[in-house]
This record gives sequence, structure tokens and C-alpha cells, in this order.
Amino acid sequence: MGQSMFIFFLVKGLEISAPIAFAALGAVFSERSGVVNIALEGIMIVTSFTIVWASIALQSVWLGLFFAVIAGSFIALIHAVVTVTFKVDQIVSGVALNIFAFGLARFLSQKVFGQETQTPTNPYLFPQLLGVNSVAFWLIPIAILAWFVLYRTVFGLRLRTVGENPEAADTLGLNVYGLRYTGVIISGAMCGMSAATLFPSQWISGMTAGRGYIALAAMIFGRWDPIGAVLASLLFGYADTFRIMFETKIPIPSQFVQMFPYILAVVVLAGMVGKARAPAADGKPYIKGED
Amino acid sequence: MNVPLLEMKGITKRFPGVLANDRVSFDLYAGEVHALVGENGAGKTTLMKILYGLYSPDSGEIFINGEGIHIKNPREAIHHGIGMVHQHFMLIPPFTVLENIIIGEESHRAGILKLDEPANKIREIMEDNNLIVELDARIENIPVGLQQRVEILKILYRGAEILVFDEPTAVLTPQEVHELFKTFREMKKRGKGIIFISHKLDEVLEIADRITVIRKGKIIRTLERKEATKPLIAELMVGKPVLLEVKKPEVKVGEVVLEVKDLRIKSPRGYDVVAGVDFNVRSGEVYGIAGVEGNGQSELVEAIAEDVPIKNGDIILMGKSIVRWDVRRRREAGISHIPEDRHRYGLLLPFSIAENLTLGMHYREPFVNRLQVMNRKAIRDFAKGVIEKFDIRTPSEMTPAHALSGGNQQKVIVARELSAEPKLLLASQPTRGVDIGATEFIHNQIMNAKGEGRAVLLVSADLDEIMSLSDRIGVIYKGRIIREFQRSETTKEEIGFYMMGEKEAEKEAGEGASGGGEERADKAADKGGSGDEA
Ligand SMILES: Nc1ncnc2c1ncn2[C@@H]1O[C@H](COP(=O)(O)OP(=O)(O)OP(=O)(O)O)[C@@H](O)[C@H]1O
Ligand SMILES: [Mg+2]
Repeated sequence: MGQSMFIFFLVKGLEISAPIAFAALGAVFSERSGVVNIALEGIMIVTSFTIVWASIALQSVWLGLFFAVIAGSFIALIHAVVTVTFKVDQIVSGVALNIFAFGLARFLSQKVFGQETQTPTNPYLFPQLLGVNSVAFWLIPIAILAWFVLYRTVFGLRLRTVGENPEAADTLGLNVYGLRYTGVIISGAMCGMSAATLFPSQWISGMTAGRGYIALAAMIFGRWDPIGAVLASLLFGYADTFRIMFETKIPIPSQFVQMFPYILAVVVLAGMVGKARAPAADGKPYIKGED
Repeated sequence: MNVPLLEMKGITKRFPGVLANDRVSFDLYAGEVHALVGENGAGKTTLMKILYGLYSPDSGEIFINGEGIHIKNPREAIHHGIGMVHQHFMLIPPFTVLENIIIGEESHRAGILKLDEPANKIREIMEDNNLIVELDARIENIPVGLQQRVEILKILYRGAEILVFDEPTAVLTPQEVHELFKTFREMKKRGKGIIFISHKLDEVLEIADRITVIRKGKIIRTLERKEATKPLIAELMVGKPVLLEVKKPEVKVGEVVLEVKDLRIKSPRGYDVVAGVDFNVRSGEVYGIAGVEGNGQSELVEAIAEDVPIKNGDIILMGKSIVRWDVRRRREAGISHIPEDRHRYGLLLPFSIAENLTLGMHYREPFVNRLQVMNRKAIRDFAKGVIEKFDIRTPSEMTPAHALSGGNQQKVIVARELSAEPKLLLASQPTRGVDIGATEFIHNQIMNAKGEGRAVLLVSADLDEIMSLSDRIGVIYKGRIIREFQRSETTKEEIGFYMMGEKEAEKEAGEGASGGGEERADKAADKGGSGDEA
């Protein structure tokens, strides 16, 4: 391929990886605090609807992004209330939220735009850079920032403590529930960033296509580490980009080619068994001493 | 000096169905070690958790330096200068020592961690208190004794004046206990007050200035060190005189029951945790394995009890190789196992005591009928008999296991494993964290098993236990049994030195006098006599 084609492949890959990577970064914060968030998929559905809706309504994609972040945080907050305060199983809550989000977006679309499965196109878009959505490039500084926050700040140290041993955190006077809420909400907010890079020009039911789950896989493959999660997301994203750019040139039925990133995810995760170590208290509700 | 550092007055705390603390009063002066002793479930930990703000008392008052305070959570306790080393360590294994110490009290600029300042402050505290640890090491890579130092550094770093130690010695070697007590003496000199909880009365008598005995939630008496003796404390704790000795039955040692040959086991981290172990246990014999925790003893016992992958070697029970057998087949062939972690492997905590007592036999008649349907009545009747025979203190056989105190939970396991009438009993840390009454009981049960001609493999970090029960003793170090002794030919000190490795042992022996080898032989002969009469 020519040089310009190669550069296009590079930036296109970044754009396609970005929604996964932002969600995976968010998931790192949630899981490091000890809460498994499989509601990422549903949150992404809601944020990608919200960004379109708010952009059209307020005539600015930046305000659209703002409200997408708010909407994502809000759904995540529900997950936090249910799992942290009320100690409901985190998987059950996540599944319920995914089903709820799927219906909620369709319901709102019907109410607002009179169409259940898609919205009109949104003319307010982010600036382009090198032929792709410029927000995708934010991934790099945000990933570095996430790493810094997790490993170099007081907040990061405390968040990781809570995910490893909430009982110890409690005896040290840390606010276990508060930290877990924060971790979960960050994961929701980051799904707002996913929406900004996924397809802000229109919402179509089903457009997230399992990216929330791929993001979870990327986070695990990336060993619960921000940089690792982003690199894993790039692996999945570039695999997908390769498929999109060269699908028509490969003599295999396209359905099989489309399965490729998912098969990659399964193979990679299967190979990881026993190697990665989740935060010790990941997925476990914390019940304070006495009750 | 006349105003106590800490005074707790009339503390009452009720849990569903138990009065854990009943109008308890307790005080502590600067520069003293005040020991708190009592049976399992007497309410020691509860009282300390109230002090540390983890539980709130139903009634009662707390004064620090004469001033009444309310402690609502650990943060406030820390603020008032109270620090606690918990019964179960509160450390984060993948974090560094430094991180573990500063969590919650970090130095920072605009939220960004500053590590140099605390590191310097901690180094100073380490020097002052004889508590040296590598700050950059990860907790998961350092031994238990050092982990405990990290716990102590954690509370000193927070400027604690009142230090609570809840059973700190349960996991330490004699040498480590010695080091810990040195630290206690350092801290006393600096005017700190120390509350020390332990089930080991020798330790209490060695270090405490005052001793308070608590029984069933009530303070029984506070003794001055001068007036305290081991039998007196034991009697106050239990409420009746306690025999502090185990009767060793006279039995003929019989044929070899268990033989382990050149056993090697690879750890998940790649090295050999068990690196070529050979020994045997005969019927009517107790073989004790002494060693600092983490030297392969857990893996060794696991390999005998369960079908874990081994790298090399053989395990032979009554002449048959069992390495390929599954757990059920091993149990049916006569292996019983008291596991070291009673909560993870020994009990199903939410299940009733009756169910726990029949585990492992639950699939056999009379506990099930021919259609494999459980026979509740048979299970309950069996349980009632065992509860009676083994003196398990419980409201009923249907009580869930988690509602029992630690000592009674341990009795359930011992009772179950012994009622299977094994040929070989594997006992790992059988009395860890168990009070003197229950310890005495479990020791006697093990001696009974020996008397009945069973073979016993005893693994314990408690040297007194090893010394008082074993006929032969193997010292395990870095996955190998580096020395084997007849009980009558060795001393506690000698074993203790070998637990630190051969080199250490020889160094110590060499330092003791010129011609270390002869000296040791003399000492052994010397102690041999006194050992027999004990
Ligand atoms: N969180 C709790 N909920 C209900 N009961 C409890 C709780 N904690 C302790 N208890 C009960 O309170 C009593 C006192 O327990 P505590 O842990 O204080 O005993 P302890 O003296 O520390 O015993 P040990 O020597 O076994 O550690 C026991 O009967 C115990 O079962
Ligand atoms: Mg206790």
C-alpha cells in the first residue's frame, strides 16, 4: 500500500479503536475500585443517543458531549447505588442495566424524533484531523493522564487500595463506598467519550455492536492497567480497521471476516487464563464490619 | 503518670444472641504493656474494635488522658492516637511497603503523591524502634514477620500513642517473637502504651506489666505481673483449674503408614516449593514438621491430602502409591486432614454444625439412603453424639458454623476428622488462634489418636506444640527437611535455629562456644534427660 494509504490506516485505526479504548480506560477505574461494570455496553448505547440528541437540540456537539458524559455518569451512578450501597450482585445489575438502556434509548428516540430505531442525522460534528474525528486523538493524553492518576496520585492509591482490600481501607479511615462510587462513575463518564468517537452524526439502534463488552475484554487483556487496556483496545480496533479496509479484497464471506475481532478477543482471553490477576476484591460487595 | 493514657468504662456490646462485652472497664498507662487474655469468644477483639471505632458500643465511655471522647470510626481513633495491629493483617499484597504504610496519610502536592518525605520519616521511625524493612519491597514477597513490622510502622507513622496488638504472635517464629518483644520494650521506653492479646501465657508472662482476664464478656480480674502465674491465669480464664500438660500415651511404634520419597512440587512461580522431601511416619507415632511458614510445609501436606500435580517422587500409604488417587479415594483409604485455613478449607460456614460434621461421609449410609437422599435424623443423631463426645459448645447441632467462636469451629473439624477413624491424621496448625482450654483438648485428642495406633503428621509454627506432641521432628527449610531429630535428643532453641536455615544454625552453634559440634552434642544429651520426664 502507498504511504498515504498507510497513514490513513494508522489514523483510521485510532478512530475505530477510540470508543473501545475510552470505555476500557473507564472500566479500569471501576474494576480497580472493586466493581465489575458490564453495563458499559448499555451505557454506551445511552451516551451515543444522548450526544446526538443534545447536539441537535442545543446546536453544539460540545454541549452534546457534555450531556453524553453526564448521561453516562448517571447510568453508572445507578449501577453504583445498586451494587455498592445495596450490594446487589454486580453482574445481575449490569445485565439489568444493559437491557434497560437498550429500551430506554429506543423509547427516547421514539418520543423525541418519532422513530424508534434511528435518529435524524446530526449536522454538528467535531472538527476533523487528518481525515478523522479529532476527538480520537485525545485518547493519547487521556490514557497518560489515567495512568498518572492511578499510580501517582493520592486518589489513585486509595482507589486501588479499596479494590484490593476494602476492609483494610476501612481500618485506615478511607471512605470505601465513596471511592467505589467515584470509580464506577468515571467508567460511565468515559462512555461519553466513547460516544463522541463512535458515531456522533447519528444514532442507530444496535450501533454499539458489543463494543462495551470488547472494552471489558481489552481491560482484562490489558491487565487492569490504563496503558495495557489502551494497547489491547488498539489491537482490537486495528484488527477491525484491517477488516473494514480490506474486506472486499479477501475471498471469504464477509460474515466470517466480521467475526474476526471477536474471535481475536476470545482467543486472546483464553490464552490469558491464570496469567492476569484481577484486583483481589474485584466483584465483591463490601459489607462493613458489624452488620 | 496518675492519669491513665486510656480508660474504658462500662463498655457494653451486644450482638444478636451474645453479650460480647458486659460493662467492661479497662485502662492503660503510658509506658506499660497491658495484656488482655481470655478464651475464644470472650470478647477481646470486640473490645478492641470498639476502641478503634470499628464497632460502636451500646453503652460505656472512653477517656484519653482523662478526657472523654467519642470514637465513631477508625479515622477518629487514629486522630486520637490509637493504632491497631489486627488479628488478620490489613495489608495490600501487591503494593510496596512504603505504599502500605502511607495509605490514608499520604503527603501530597495538589493531590500528587510525594514519596520522599514520608520515606525519610519512616526510616527515622525504623531506626528508633528496631523495625527495619525494605521500603521498596512488595508485601507479597516478604515473610510474615516483616509484614507485621509493616503493620507496626503503619501505626507508628500515624503517631499512635496507644498500640493494640491482637494476637500478633500467632504467626511468628520464636525468634520473631523475640524481636517483637524488643520492639515493645523500645516503645515502652518512649512512653507508649501497649495492649497485647495472646493465647500463649508464657509470652504474656514474659512481656506484660499487668494482665487482665476476660471471661464471657466480663472482666474477671486484673493481675499485677508479680502475682501472676500460669495456672492462676488459666484458671481465671476458664473458670476452673486447667491441666497444662498433655499426657503422652505409651505406645509401641508400629509399621510405616506413610512414606514420602524425594517429593518435589513446582510452585506457580516456577521454583520448587517442595524440593526433595523424604520421611516416613509410623503407626502410633507423631511426626512433627517444624518450620517458618512458607517453607513448603503447606504444599507438602496438600500433596498428601489431595491430588495436586507433583513434579517428582512418590507418596506411599500402607505400601501403596497414592499420588494418582483423588481425594475421596485417599480419604477412604484412611487419610484425615485438619487443614491450616479452617475457614477456607475446613468448614462450610453457612452450613449447620451437623452438616459440617458429616462432610466427607455425607454420601454414605446411614447419612443417605439407597437413593442418595439425605437422612436428616441420622445426621442429627450422629452430630449430637459427636458434639457431646468432643465438648463442642454450641446452642444446637443445627446452628450454622459461622456463629461459633474460633476454638469451637476448630473442635468441629477435629471431631469430624477423628471420627472418621483414620490410619493417618494430617494436622496442620491444629490449634492456631485457639484458647488454652481448646488447645489442651485438641492436644489430648491427638494423643488419643496416637494411643490408638494412628499415625499423625503434625505441622505447626508453634514450637511448644511441636515439642510437646512429637516423637520425631523434621525441620523444613526452603522446601527440604534439613534435619531430623528424635524428640528426646533436641531442644526448642536448637530447632528454632534450624528453622532459620542450616547456615544460621551452624553460626549460632559456633558462636555459642568453641567446638560447636561437641557443645551441641552435650546439650542434647543434657536435655535428653529432662525431656523424658516432661
Ligand atoms: N460481627 C459479629 N456479629 C455477631 N457476633 C459477633 C461478631 N463479632 C463477634 N461476635 C461474637 O461476640 C463474641 C466475642 O467475640 P470476639 O471476637 O470479641 O472474641 P475474642 O475474645 O476475640 O475470641 P478469639 O480469641 O477467638 O479471637 C463471640 O461470641 C462472637 O461469636
Ligand atoms: Mg479475637
